[in-house]
Amino acid sequence: MEKGIKFREAKEEDIESIVELVIRLKRLNEEFDALLKVREDIVEQTKLYIKNSLKSDNSFIVVAEYNKKIVGILKAEVRERLFYSPTKEGFISEFYIMPEFRRKGLGKDLLKYSIEKLKDKGAEIVTAEFPTQNKIATDFYAKQGFRSVISIHARYID
Amino acid sequence: MTIDKDETTKLYELSIYYSKIYRGKISIIPKVPIRNLNDFSIWYTPGVAGVSLEIAKNKEKSFDLTGRWNTIAIVTDGTRVLGLGNIGPEASMPVMEGKALIFKYLGGVDAIPLPIKVDTVDQFVNVVKAVEPSFGGINLEDIESPKCFYLLDTIRKELNIPVWHDDQQGTAGATLAGALNAIKLVGKSLKDIKIVFYGAGASNIATANLFINAGFDAGKMILIDSKGILHPEREDMDKLMLNNPWKYELSIKTNKYRIKGGLKEALEDADMLVAASKPGPNAFKKEYIKVMNNDSIVFLLANPIPEIWPWEAKEMGAKIVATGRSDFPNQINNSLIFPSVFRGALDAKSKKISDEMIIAASKELAKYAEEKGINENYIIPSMDEWQVYPRVAAAVASKAVEQGLAREIMSWNEYYEIAKKIIQESRVSLNTLIEKGVIRNLLNYNSV
Repeated sequence: MEKGIKFREAKEEDIESIVELVIRLKRLNEEFDALLKVREDIVEQTKLYIKNSLKSDNSFIVVAEYNKKIVGILKAEVRERLFYSPTKEGFISEFYIMPEFRRKGLGKDLLKYSIEKLKDKGAEIVTAEFPTQNKIATDFYAKQGFRSVISIHARYID
Repeated sequence: MTIDKDETTKLYELSIYYSKIYRGKISIIPKVPIRNLNDFSIWYTPGVAGVSLEIAKNKEKSFDLTGRWNTIAIVTDGTRVLGLGNIGPEASMPVMEGKALIFKYLGGVDAIPLPIKVDTVDQFVNVVKAVEPSFGGINLEDIESPKCFYLLDTIRKELNIPVWHDDQQGTAGATLAGALNAIKLVGKSLKDIKIVFYGAGASNIATANLFINAGFDAGKMILIDSKGILHPEREDMDKLMLNNPWKYELSIKTNKYRIKGGLKEALEDADMLVAASKPGPNAFKKEYIKVMNNDSIVFLLANPIPEIWPWEAKEMGAKIVATGRSDFPNQINNSLIFPSVFRGALDAKSKKISDEMIIAASKELAKYAEEKGINENYIIPSMDEWQVYPRVAAAVASKAVEQGLAREIMSWNEYYEIAKKIIQESRVSLNTLIEKGVIRNLLNYNSV
């Protein structure tokens, strides 16, 4: 792992930094599809979302810290698969690394660290959600052994 | 400055007036004797078939048995012509003809203007690939950013002949030459210099990259675009990663002290400013120059009017000032670079033009000026010091040999003599054609 970077679970006082990184992620997503345009109250929504997530027993947020600064986040939760087996899924919903810390293997390490945690919490498979057009994410997950299983298709209702 | 506007208008009118008379600036003239029609049995069929068969056996021979060795294409899609924007391939032709004229006059290179109509970058790449067999090199010209970065990278990889984008590499090379001597004059060292690049278009991105390759410290560079100082935490970084990876890369490499804000914040303690933004005057507040270090170096490269007037920069404390204009001292001009870079690359039959070859050109230009005696008002040779061109060509060709890119290996002196001869011949033939009245000498600045 990159020197001086450590992973740990997020705490209450990290909320502000996490919110900032999640919003960066959503703004990145915005580039991929018109239906991913971020809403105006994104800041409040994200704060609420992160606060709730920290309270929940099924989910966790791992932060990558460098010089006391949060430079990467991964948010995941364990959820029940109602119709399929294996029945326990570790679902990664947010995953973002600051630009200057990319391409150093940090993402791979953060993913590995988080998958261990998901496993401890009983997950048998791991899934991730990201925009279809995000080729960088597609390539990254493919390299880590993921494949596309289900896709979400969308259009406007006239 | 109204005087400037009037002058520009007058030159526009003169240029249109003479374009109507001459109807194009270059033409193809034979370079072999034709005494009577029988000679065509050598130059054309049946004799020529023998030459074709030779080349069919070994395509490399097209460089020895035809004009390919000295012929390049000036290719543009007309999307960013001068400061005029996307005016299309037809309207770009006058500019490309002018470029061809400079190539021939200063470098002895036969350059064919080739504005093309394409809708996508893939089409652009395919057209250039398709014409590769006819040319010894490709000069890309006046293509909008960031498309130009992608095209240069891709075409450079796909072709086996030198590919060059003048708005990036030509400007970068000339800027580096001036910077080397300016820094020498103020007695600072490359590694310690803090440079601010104002404007992050094709030329400044290429210049910053060339400076890094030439030994400047990337961490001490600051780039500024229309949204302010670039740094890895800026909010639009991801957008840049997707749309302009070249700017994104530099944003991460540079500005290690994480300075945020605009030009004023960037210029605190800066040793050098390279402005290539928008035409002045008053493109930024001249007072900003005051916060720079002692003995500051200020390059104001916007055309036709520099960002601020050179005397304003001096009043604010700049020690050395350069612009893109010939009517002020220290003109940073592509024309000092591209004719001789191609001359050298073609004479060495180089597979490509590497950054190291450009740096060699810059160093040779700087050295030439240094030998003549550099001072605040002379950091770079002027375009009419024509002895410099064969020297730069020889430096470029020798670097190609050193890097294993040359297919025609000679000594520095041999390259120099060849370049000198070719460039001289080009001028002699032009002057002869004028003397004989084949090229009519009608130019008169008072005709409109």
